[in-house]
Amino acid sequence: MNLEAFQKIAASNLWGNLLPEIYLVALCLLLLVFEMVFRRQDLLLLFRVALWGQVLLLVLMGLSYFGGFPSGREELFGGLLVQTPLTETMRLFFLFGSLLVSYLGTRFLRARNLARTEFFAITLLVTAALMLLVQSNQFVLLFVALETVTVGFYVLVAYARTSGYSLEAGLKYLIMGALSSGLLLFGIVLLYGVAGSPDLAGAVGDPLHFPSLAQFIAAHPDNTLVLAGSLLVLSGIAFKVGAVPFQIWIPDVYQGAPTPVSAFLAVSSKAAGIIVLLTLVTGPFAALSGWTIPLISTVAVLTILYGNLTALPQRNVKRIMGLSGIAHAGYLLMGVVAAMTVDWAVGAIVFYLFTYLLASFGVFGVMALLSEGQDADQELDHYEDLAKRQPLLAAALTVGLASLAGIPPLGGFIGKLVLFIAAFQAGLYTLLAFSVVGVVLSIYYYFGWVREAVFRVWRSAEGAGSATPALPEPRSLTGLDRTALVGLSVLTLILGVAPFVLTWFLQL
Amino acid sequence: MEGLSTLATVLLLVPLASAAVITLFFRRSGKAAEWVSVVAAGIIMVLAFVLIFAWSGSGSLTASIPWLVLGDFRIEMGFLFNAEAATMLAVVGFIGFFIHLFSIGYMDDDPAQGRFFAGLSIFMFSMLGIVLADNLFMLFIFWELVGFSSYMLIAHYWDKDFASAASKKAFVVNRVGDFGFLIGIVWAYHYFGTANISEMSALVASGEKDVVTGIGLLLMCGFVGKSAQLPLQVWLTDAMAGPTPVSALIHAATMVAAGIYFMVRIFGILSPFTLDWILWSGAIMTTFAGICALGQDDIKKSLAYSTLAHLGYMATAIGLGFPGLAIMHMAMHACFKATLFLCSGSVIHACHHEQNMFKMGGLLRRMPITGIAFLIASLSISAVPFTAGYYSKDTIIASAWGLFANGSGGEYLGAYILTVLGALFTALYMGRMFFVVFLGKPNSEKAAKARESSVWMTLPLIVLGWVLSLGAGWFVQPGLDGSWLGGAMTSLLPTHAVEFMVQGFGNDGWKAAHAVYEASGAGWVEWLNLACVLAGFAFTFFYYGRGPSADRLEVNHPAVFQAVERHGWFDDLYDWYVAKVQQRFADILGFLDIFLIAGLLVRGAAGVAGLTGTLLRSLQVGSVHSYVYWFLIGIVFFWIFAAT
Repeated sequence: MNLEAFQKIAASNLWGNLLPEIYLVALCLLLLVFEMVFRRQDLLLLFRVALWGQVLLLVLMGLSYFGGFPSGREELFGGLLVQTPLTETMRLFFLFGSLLVSYLGTRFLRARNLARTEFFAITLLVTAALMLLVQSNQFVLLFVALETVTVGFYVLVAYARTSGYSLEAGLKYLIMGALSSGLLLFGIVLLYGVAGSPDLAGAVGDPLHFPSLAQFIAAHPDNTLVLAGSLLVLSGIAFKVGAVPFQIWIPDVYQGAPTPVSAFLAVSSKAAGIIVLLTLVTGPFAALSGWTIPLISTVAVLTILYGNLTALPQRNVKRIMGLSGIAHAGYLLMGVVAAMTVDWAVGAIVFYLFTYLLASFGVFGVMALLSEGQDADQELDHYEDLAKRQPLLAAALTVGLASLAGIPPLGGFIGKLVLFIAAFQAGLYTLLAFSVVGVVLSIYYYFGWVREAVFRVWRSAEGAGSATPALPEPRSLTGLDRTALVGLSVLTLILGVAPFVLTWFLQL
Repeated sequence: MEGLSTLATVLLLVPLASAAVITLFFRRSGKAAEWVSVVAAGIIMVLAFVLIFAWSGSGSLTASIPWLVLGDFRIEMGFLFNAEAATMLAVVGFIGFFIHLFSIGYMDDDPAQGRFFAGLSIFMFSMLGIVLADNLFMLFIFWELVGFSSYMLIAHYWDKDFASAASKKAFVVNRVGDFGFLIGIVWAYHYFGTANISEMSALVASGEKDVVTGIGLLLMCGFVGKSAQLPLQVWLTDAMAGPTPVSALIHAATMVAAGIYFMVRIFGILSPFTLDWILWSGAIMTTFAGICALGQDDIKKSLAYSTLAHLGYMATAIGLGFPGLAIMHMAMHACFKATLFLCSGSVIHACHHEQNMFKMGGLLRRMPITGIAFLIASLSISAVPFTAGYYSKDTIIASAWGLFANGSGGEYLGAYILTVLGALFTALYMGRMFFVVFLGKPNSEKAAKARESSVWMTLPLIVLGWVLSLGAGWFVQPGLDGSWLGGAMTSLLPTHAVEFMVQGFGNDGWKAAHAVYEASGAGWVEWLNLACVLAGFAFTFFYYGRGPSADRLEVNHPAVFQAVERHGWFDDLYDWYVAKVQQRFADILGFLDIFLIAGLLVRGAAGVAGLTGTLLRSLQVGSVHSYVYWFLIGIVFFWIFAAT
């Protein structure tokens, strides 16, 4: 390469555009320094630094939008990453998610004798990596960001070192994650090899770069190595998303992981997977739509059915959330297929992700607040008469579950509606039919949960003795708990009734 | 029209906010609730007039806010503001406010004021939505919302059997009408490609699309249910079980008139056949309901039949082809019928919830303000010259004759005869009511101790009864229009207001109809009307006497009275239908439901789903080994797609 090319690349190294990621990493380091300096594992201090640090970042990012929300597409660092309104929105999404995870983490750590700093530090690090992941425009960055996320999660899943469940989940996640990373990497290598091979016409100089790769694949869509490489890459991403048939790890891991980590996996990690999949199938793999559309459609149907059907007989609430999360991934996959033909479907996906974030964290929040002692074995029976014992928790739970089930006037309803309309416009009628069946099934188990919590169910006298002992009453809710739960519920409602929010998203 | 849509949106949101505030904070503090609601009603009145004055006085204004935009599919929240909307808005805002005021006095001893006033606010919200809506979808949503608030307010005394039964009846009967309405909307949207009212009318007017009788008839179903026209009139009399302000506001002045209003809005897409249908059903109603009103001892039920008859007059005006006249009669009717109901409310309140007319008597001396308001409204509803009702009601009757005389068709003669008979019966039942309730001596202890109501209740009676029931129609009287009281009044009102009155009532409605009558040259028509009215009053004065304790008709001719009281055996017919026909059918469906749907489909599907779930769950063995094989199977599965 000559000097001019280097200069051009150097000119595109706009570090200022990566300030949020840099800030998060700095905050993570700051926490680690704090631990060394204070050595007290003072939870409150750590928590405050982590939480307010993130709130400050949110505010700063908000302030930066006064000059206008980023529009248009900008390639940085010599094409290593690309920034669009979509990636900017996802940054906010991940930051919001990590804020909630930090909050839930405090509740979780308070009752346990575990290392504390690392939880927040790793959460921040993973969040920064997630942000980079959705912005990546090149396979090396994609893989590095993805591995940072995954490695972070290995630690987080096994965080409750004293719990057998957590350790088992951590091990399973490690093995499955490593396997899928291996597949992904193998796929990347195959693509790199074939696209850079000088034997083939149209070989490109930088085969890891998405646009270049797209050119090459468009020229050789039937090349066996291209097929093998891309399907291995897609398999690796499908693992992140939790799509059938790469969903098998989810129930075990979600159940075993600490509740905040389950929420983190269910929301942020899954969202990143969906966005990356979207980037890939509309970017480098666009020329393969001949088989990616039927593939992802079939996977979406299977995922929706699998998630909903397996959630039906479940009694363990964390497994219900895990399995129903698979179903939500299925609806999102339908959105990805729709986005391949309908432009505004991207906005619908992001809107759905936001409603899913709010509702899931509402539910996970209630779960975390109720499970100070035991974590992995919360059963539906523990929620009996919650409305009487903890009206606020029951209300937040109901709003969250109803939104997940897609009941108007909550955000989840509008989210599903626009996703379904997008699928309809894309002509995916079969997929739509299965989704509707899935939604009907989901109402059954979501409202079974609500029924336990809210309605007085008749119970036989002999059953009363053998009933699962109720969980210990949570400590009285703090102002922050109330704010978080009420805030999530209110936001869920706002997304459901304020059309301008949706309109804004659909412009993405 | 940025300003207009903002104003209309604010107008719409005020009552909703009021309802929300009451429900959230003041459910148990009735005083606060009533003030929130009344202040909201006051703001609505002010904003309504601001909107009317801001409007130029002619033409129509439209504004729409996109609610949801998905590609090329749009759902819009739109407003259409024209002459009929202005009149309706004035009625809802003005009369609504005074009825709110009246409610403060009437509900003072009620334990559930919070619920009542929240219900009133919800009603105002829904009604304003109907008034402003510019498309059928939005209209239907608010249409159902008024139905809901009506249901809720009829059942205010929910612990009384008759009230909860009446609310259910009102709800169910309205559903029957709304079913047709909904199909009509879908058909109209399919046929016209739009549900926007002005766009549909424009398509018909430009000749691009023909009118379709079926659409008109189906949309008319909504009107028949909401305005309680034949054959769905049965719910309105029972709805009197609600508190009297509710009867005045919802079941006399505004909601039942919404059906008429809706027909006027879509007048452009109604076919001649539909108009004839409306004409006949309305004209028959004027006489039929008038007869029925004579068979009621309950003052409110008698008034309810009178409402039916006058909705019939409005329908007749639409059927004659004078939608503006129908709207004018709606406005006049809102004034005097609200007065009549509020007077009955004042009387009922003073007599400690006694509703039987024959237990009252002699109340004019004890309650002079109420009595005089009732008298003026009675004269007005009977169309005595120079009262408000005269201008609209008499013109409807006269223009029916005028249309027959100029050879427009024989059906107009039928309408004329029926409406004249209706006018005669109006005088009969109104005379009966006034003489029985207000003259003579008290017939019960409660009536003997009655006192004039508080200022909250008398003020609305004075405004609506003494002033509006008398003078609301003077705007159209030749010589008075535009130069009211030698111009003195006009200078007090903004120019736009006068224009609005003349536009809304005068040019579009009254003048055209009046011209038809003038052209026929039959001056005797008016004299005949007056003769009917005077004969009616005179007859009842001598037949029933002053303040009787029993109905002479009931005593002397029980069979006739019985026949009148059963109001055409409609209820019996429907009861028979529900018990014998529908119940059988429901039994069959119930059998199918239990055995086919619940037994095979639901249980079966649930069983299959549950079984599949359990099977799939068994795959979740927890062994990492098998999980890894899953991944390999997955890759093979992906390969199948890539390879084909």
